[in-house]
Amino acid sequence: MVRTSAPRSRSLNPRLRRRLVPALLLAPAALLLVLVIGYPLVRAILLTFQNFNMLQPSRTTWVGLQNFVQVFHNPVFWIAMRNTLVWVASAVSLQLVFGFIGALLLNQTFFGRDVVRGVLLIPWATPSVLVALMWMWMLDGNYGIVNELLVRVGILKTFFPFLSSPHTALPTLIMIDVWQGIPFFAVMLLAALQAIPLELEQAARVDGANPAQVLWHVKVPLLLPTILITTILRLIWTANYMDLMFVMTNGGPGYATTTMPFFAYTEAYRRIHFSTGATAAFVQALLLGLVIIVYIRILRRQQVV
Amino acid sequence: MTPASRFKRVVLMTLGALLLGTVLPLSQAFAQGNKTVVNYWLWLDDSTDPVWPDLVKEFNQTHPNIEVKYQTIPLSQYHDRLLTAIGSGSAPDAARFKDWWLGEFVSNDLLQPLTSYIQQWPGSSDVIQNLWSTGKTSADSPVYMLPAQYITFYLYYRADRLKAAGLEPPKTFAEFVQEAKTLTDPAKKQYGFALRGGAGGQDQWYAFMLALGCHLVDGSGAVVADSQACVDANQKYIDLFRVDKVTPPTAPSDGFAQIIGGFESGITTFAAHHVGSSKSLTEKLGDKLGVTNVPPADPNKPATMMAMSGNVVFGSSKEKQAAFTFISWLDSQGPMDKMSRSANGQLPVLASVASEPYYQNNPFFKLSLEQANYAVAWPPLPGVGYVASQLWQASMQQALLGQITSQQMMTQIATALKQK
Repeated sequence: MVRTSAPRSRSLNPRLRRRLVPALLLAPAALLLVLVIGYPLVRAILLTFQNFNMLQPSRTTWVGLQNFVQVFHNPVFWIAMRNTLVWVASAVSLQLVFGFIGALLLNQTFFGRDVVRGVLLIPWATPSVLVALMWMWMLDGNYGIVNELLVRVGILKTFFPFLSSPHTALPTLIMIDVWQGIPFFAVMLLAALQAIPLELEQAARVDGANPAQVLWHVKVPLLLPTILITTILRLIWTANYMDLMFVMTNGGPGYATTTMPFFAYTEAYRRIHFSTGATAAFVQALLLGLVIIVYIRILRRQQVV
Repeated sequence: MTPASRFKRVVLMTLGALLLGTVLPLSQAFAQGNKTVVNYWLWLDDSTDPVWPDLVKEFNQTHPNIEVKYQTIPLSQYHDRLLTAIGSGSAPDAARFKDWWLGEFVSNDLLQPLTSYIQQWPGSSDVIQNLWSTGKTSADSPVYMLPAQYITFYLYYRADRLKAAGLEPPKTFAEFVQEAKTLTDPAKKQYGFALRGGAGGQDQWYAFMLALGCHLVDGSGAVVADSQACVDANQKYIDLFRVDKVTPPTAPSDGFAQIIGGFESGITTFAAHHVGSSKSLTEKLGDKLGVTNVPPADPNKPATMMAMSGNVVFGSSKEKQAAFTFISWLDSQGPMDKMSRSANGQLPVLASVASEPYYQNNPFFKLSLEQANYAVAWPPLPGVGYVASQLWQASMQQALLGQITSQQMMTQIATALKQK
C-alpha cells in the first residue's frame, strides 16, 4: 500500500492535533453556551449583590447581602417557597403514579392502542397558555362544565369557585398540571417498558412469579433509571413552570398560588426590583442545583453500568 | 453535473443571496431619502382593528419627511417590554402610555417634558382643560404625556331586571346595596353586582373608593390611602362580598371576561366598566342595557375614576420633534375621531370632537364626558404601577377572603404608594 499523507498533516504534532481538533469542533457550541447560558447566569448572580434599577442602570450600586436579607424578611417569599414545595411534590408524584399506570396500560395489547397512544399526547402537546384558558373556562364557578358535571352527578350541591378559594386554587392548578404532565411520564416509561426483554418476564413466570411480583421484582428495577431521570427532569421543569399561575390566578387568590418563579417575576417586573427578583430566582436555582447534582450522579452511574 | 460545477453553482447562489441581502436594505434606505424615522409602540385592546395601521399610513402619506414605524405589543407584555427596551438602550422614540406608569418613568428621568412643544402646537387649545393634569406628575410639573384616549368608570345595569323588580337605577351607594340585595338569589344563580376581585379590578375598586369619599392622596399630593375615610370606604366595598353577599362567589378571582360574561348572561344585574365595552354590550343586550353613575355615598358629590392613555416621547429619542409631530397629529380632529369610533375607541380628548352628535347622542359617551369634569385619575406616584398591576389584587383578594382587614389592606397600599 502506498502512503499518501499530505505534507501539512505531517507538520502538526499528531498528539496536539488529537487534542486540538475536538476542541476546535466543540468551540462554536461552547461559545454559544457561554453567551446564552453563562453570561445571563453570571449577570443574574451579580444582580443579587447589586441595587439594580432597570430604568436607571447607571445608578447601580453594590449592596452586599442586603437583597438576601430583604427577600428572607419578605413573608410572601416564604409563602412562595411553601407553595413551590407543595406544587412540585404533589404535581410530580401524581404525574409519576398516573404516568406509570398509563404506561402499563398502554403496554398491553388492545384494540385501538395506537390511536390511544397518539391521543394521550394531546395534553402534553397543547400550549400551556391554551391549556390554562381552556381549564379556566371549564372550571368557571358560574357556568363551567366541570361544575355542571359535578352538580349533575351529585358530588357538589352548588357550583364551587375552585379558583377563588385559597384552599382549592393551588390543588386545582396541581390537577391541571398533572393532567398535562401524565403523557410525558407515560411515554417515557412505556419506551423503557418496551425495552425490557420478554425473556426476563417469561423466566420469572416460569419460576412461579405472579403478575404483581413480575412487576415489582423484574420490571420496576429495570425501569428505575428511567423513572429517576424522568422524575428529576420533571421536578426542574415543574419548579420553573408558572404559566398556569400567570394566566389563571395571577398568583392568587391572595398569594395562594404564588410560587417562587412567579414571586421572582413580580418582584422584577411589577415591583421593578430586579435585584430582589434575581435573588429569589438565585435561591431557587441553588435548591434546584441540588436536584441537578442527583441527576448528574444518576447519569454517571448509568454510564458506568 | 460534476462536483466541481455543483460547488461553483452553490458558491454563486450564496454570493447572489448575500448581494441581494445587502442591496435590498440599501435600496430601501435610498428610497427613504432624508426621511426621519420615528419608532412608535402601542397596544391595542382589539388587535384586529384596522384603524391604527390606517392612521399611520395616512400620517406617513401626509408627512413626506417623517416615516413612522409602529409596533403593536399586547398590553399584558407592554410594560415589561418597555422596561427591557429601556434597560437595553433600545427604547422607541414615542409610545402609547398609561397614566399609571407616569410617576415611575418620570422619577427615573426617562420621559421628555413636552410643555415647550405643546406651547408651539396650535391644537393644544382644543384639548379638554381638565385632562392636561393626567399628563403631569404634579400641578406645577411639565406635561410628560399628551392625553389621547381616556375612559371614566360608570355603572351598567340590566334595565329589564330593574323594571321587572320595580326598581329605579340607584342614585346612592345605600340604594345600590339595597337593590343589589333585592336582585340577589343564589338559588337561581342571580347576583346583584359583578365585583371584579381578579385581574384589572383595581379601576372598578378605585371608582367606588372615590364615590365613597376616599382619595388616595390629599390636595398637597401626600398619600392618605390609609386614612379612616379610605378604610371605611374599602370596608363597604369588601362587605359587598363578605356581608351583603350580593356578588357571585367567584368574585375574588373574577376578571373582565367573567364580569362581562356574567352580566351578559344575566347572572349579575350591575357591572362597573367604561365605554370600551359599550359597543359589544349594546349589540348583545340592546335596550336591556342601561347606564348610570358609580353610586356615590352622597348624591350631591358624584365621583369616579378616569384612566388616561396618552402618548409620550422618550428622553433617549434622537427624533423628539418628529415624534411630537406624530403624537400631536394623533390629537388632531380627524385621527382623534377615527380612534374614538374604532373598535379600540375611548373618549376623545378634544372638545371639538367630543361635542359632535355621535358622542353627545350616545348615552355611554355622553355620561362619560360628563363624568370627565370631576373624574380623578390614579395619582402619578412611582408606586402606582406596582399597586395597580400586582399589590391591589393580592391584598383585595386577601381582604375579600377575610385574611386581612380593610385597615391592613389600605396600609399596604399606602406603604407602596409612599415608596420613592
